[in-house]
Amino acid sequence: MESLYLLIPIALIFCAIAIRLLLWAIDSGQYDDLDKEAWKILADDDVTENTDSENQDGTKL
Amino acid sequence: MNQAAPTEIGAGQALNNADTCYHCGEAVPDWPSYRATIGGIDQAMCCPGCKAVAELIDSSGMAQFYQQRTAFNDKPLPADSADNSQFQAYDLAELQATFTTVDAHGNATASLLLGGISCAACTWLIETSLGKIPGVIRSNVSLQHSKLEVAYDPQLVKTSALFAKVSALGYAVQPYEASVQRDQLITENRRDLRRLAVAWLGMMQVGMFGIALHAGDLQGMAVEYQSLLRWVSLLVASFVVYFSARPFFESAWRHLRQGALVMDLPVALAIGIAWLASAVATMTGRGQVYFDSVVMFTALLLLARYFEHSVRRRDNLDWLDVQSNLPLTVTLRQGDSWTSALRQSLTSGASVLIKPGATIPVDGEIMDGDSAVDEQTFTGEQLPRAVGVGDAIFAGTVNLEGALEVRASGNFADTRLARLQRSSQLGRQGKPELAQLADRLASKFVAAILLITCSTALVWSFIDPSRALWVALSVLVISCPCALSLATPSALASAAAALRRSGIMVSGDNALASLAQTTHLVCDKTGTLTEGKFSIERIVILGSLSEDTVLSTAACLQQYSNHPIAQAFKDSPARNEATEVDYVVGAGIAGTLNDCRYRMGSEAFCRELQTSLPAPPDTRGYWIALVSEQQVLAWIDFNDPLREEATAVLQQAKKQGLTLIMLTGDSGQQGQYLAARLGIEDFQTGLSPEQKMARVEQLQDTGAVVTMVGDGLNDAPVLARANTSIAMANAADLTRTQADLVIVDGGLETVTLAMQKAKFCRRVVLQNFAWALAYNLCAIPLAVSGMVAPWMAAVGMSLSSLLVVANSLRLNRHH
Repeated sequence: MESLYLLIPIALIFCAIAIRLLLWAIDSGQYDDLDKEAWKILADDDVTENTDSENQDGTKL
Repeated sequence: MNQAAPTEIGAGQALNNADTCYHCGEAVPDWPSYRATIGGIDQAMCCPGCKAVAELIDSSGMAQFYQQRTAFNDKPLPADSADNSQFQAYDLAELQATFTTVDAHGNATASLLLGGISCAACTWLIETSLGKIPGVIRSNVSLQHSKLEVAYDPQLVKTSALFAKVSALGYAVQPYEASVQRDQLITENRRDLRRLAVAWLGMMQVGMFGIALHAGDLQGMAVEYQSLLRWVSLLVASFVVYFSARPFFESAWRHLRQGALVMDLPVALAIGIAWLASAVATMTGRGQVYFDSVVMFTALLLLARYFEHSVRRRDNLDWLDVQSNLPLTVTLRQGDSWTSALRQSLTSGASVLIKPGATIPVDGEIMDGDSAVDEQTFTGEQLPRAVGVGDAIFAGTVNLEGALEVRASGNFADTRLARLQRSSQLGRQGKPELAQLADRLASKFVAAILLITCSTALVWSFIDPSRALWVALSVLVISCPCALSLATPSALASAAAALRRSGIMVSGDNALASLAQTTHLVCDKTGTLTEGKFSIERIVILGSLSEDTVLSTAACLQQYSNHPIAQAFKDSPARNEATEVDYVVGAGIAGTLNDCRYRMGSEAFCRELQTSLPAPPDTRGYWIALVSEQQVLAWIDFNDPLREEATAVLQQAKKQGLTLIMLTGDSGQQGQYLAARLGIEDFQTGLSPEQKMARVEQLQDTGAVVTMVGDGLNDAPVLARANTSIAMANAADLTRTQADLVIVDGGLETVTLAMQKAKFCRRVVLQNFAWALAYNLCAIPLAVSGMVAPWMAAVGMSLSSLLVVANSLRLNRHH
């Protein structure tokens, strides 16, 4: 059971890292528009197929 | 592109049927017929505007947009007003500087505000279309804030081209002006999310330790490890309380200083005291810890509030600016020539040229020219006002007939439009707030809980002083008003989501609560109870021609007219081209068809051509004569027809005991006639916006809860003032911003729907309160007698909260 003294701090460090990452993502605006992102993931593939002729460089929009 | 042909049933497909426009969902007229081939399939269109937009979308290979969208598009503006030359002003460097930034590589980033984006598919359509313009580097649309950010190379693409492209897709576009309010919305959203993230991650950690501790309580665990787990829980919970639960403390303290007991106070007390007691227990090693309850409570409450806020934020229309409807540039006289200048740079005394069909950019006095102006949005009066030299005209109205030269009386801030906007703001400030049920309950609840806790501590200090503090604390924790504070926000969020699906946006704070308690229903006339456009009521044939021929002759003449009655002939086929068309301001229109001279207009105007014209059949209607040089053809009566559903909606309201009142700016006799027909006993005509507002104020002083339904600019102040306000689908932008509920699609019947939903919502809130209070009433005596273990309190609290949320979700069902 002594391993708890090691494992709990490690868990806390992971938790702190997760919180920092999440806060960074929120602050950089990645969660500003939740509706759009949910939709976009379904649509993107079709875009490149449809517009290949005009968008040869394959730039994703 | 053919790949996108609708083989699978997407969300968008369910939207369409054969009778409505494939693009905007409006009814398709019988004649003329517009068709467009979208994704290989022939589809019906309602107007040339929709047809042009749909064909543009299809020809750019983006027809799959129609399968993916979840709401109909807005109907695009008529082609002439979408003239691209209006955007050329945005190429001026001084104007560009207000909404673009240029980086070190010379690339510009423009921030634009969009109107009419209804679903996520719109954002894709705009981003993809802009991406195809050479020189555009990247574009990003934020649906939540209706904002488009586009980075482009100013050497390759003109700023006006970006505006023209978005406008061609059928969306309204204007520069995004940074405002404190808009920025605040973004920061608030991020702040709420940060708090939510920390609370939930913290809850998982503390919950994990909590399970170990509870297991330890049941089967025993070494003091050493119990203490370790408690210290770690204390660490995480303290951070969550400090970071995430802060708004509860701030709000409770703010209200307490003003002497108000609000729901946030018991929340803050429960969190604060449970945390403090647990911390003391951890340090002294005696008593119970409640860290898991503290953190779980915080996380659940923040989640419910986040959902409620995001529903409201999404429908926030504050960004609409009344100025955006005015033309950006004006034509100014300089000596003998005309030059184009920015409207914002107008000064008092400048001479401005206003072409027929244009929106008047500024208040002023006519120096030269005769015309008629359409002031319907200001006064509710549908017939245009004839104006001549010396008459005053107002910004935001439309010049219908002849070109006018006007001396500007000042800048935008001096206009009647700006005054209307200011009086709306005043109305909003004076709006009476109904006390929220939750807050009324809270003050009694808090007082009761504090009383019970103190007496428990007192009684136990006689029975067993060592347990007194802990029993009192468990009373506080178990009475923790989690379910009680979730009761209102969860129900409101759920009802708002359901209403949105039925085509109503809820944006006001107390909108649903006060809608449910309405005692007086006040309606505007034009555009609200009526359709707001002229149609032919009766035709009295006087000559030898059939009704059909008379109509098509009239349509031939009217296709050259801007007058509101010309709309009534939209559905009649104009089979011929009239020649030598002559428009006489304030009188009528004359033209030659098949070598015969025709006149259509007022009695005097037509009698000049055909002296045998009899007097109109009666005096009530708006009669227009049609004569040829050979014979008298007909008298045609025009009317603004009642909305089909108006009678049913008003009767329903009357049945529910509401007092009906009609307030209209129109001074004609039609108001009186309509009121009699609809059974409205209380009506006033010819009111100014300020008089309408005064009438509602007067009603409110007598204790009435007023719901106002309106659409015109002149309704904006009274909508702001009413307890609940509803703006119709065709409402002016300023009016929409002042309304608590905006009908997005549908007619008056949605008002009945909103009222039913509001009443249902109130019932659900009351049920939630009843349950939460009943739970507390049962649990508190147990806690007072010292019989409740902490894990029981935690489970009971979660279950009662879940029940409240589940009950609220019933509102979300579609009826």
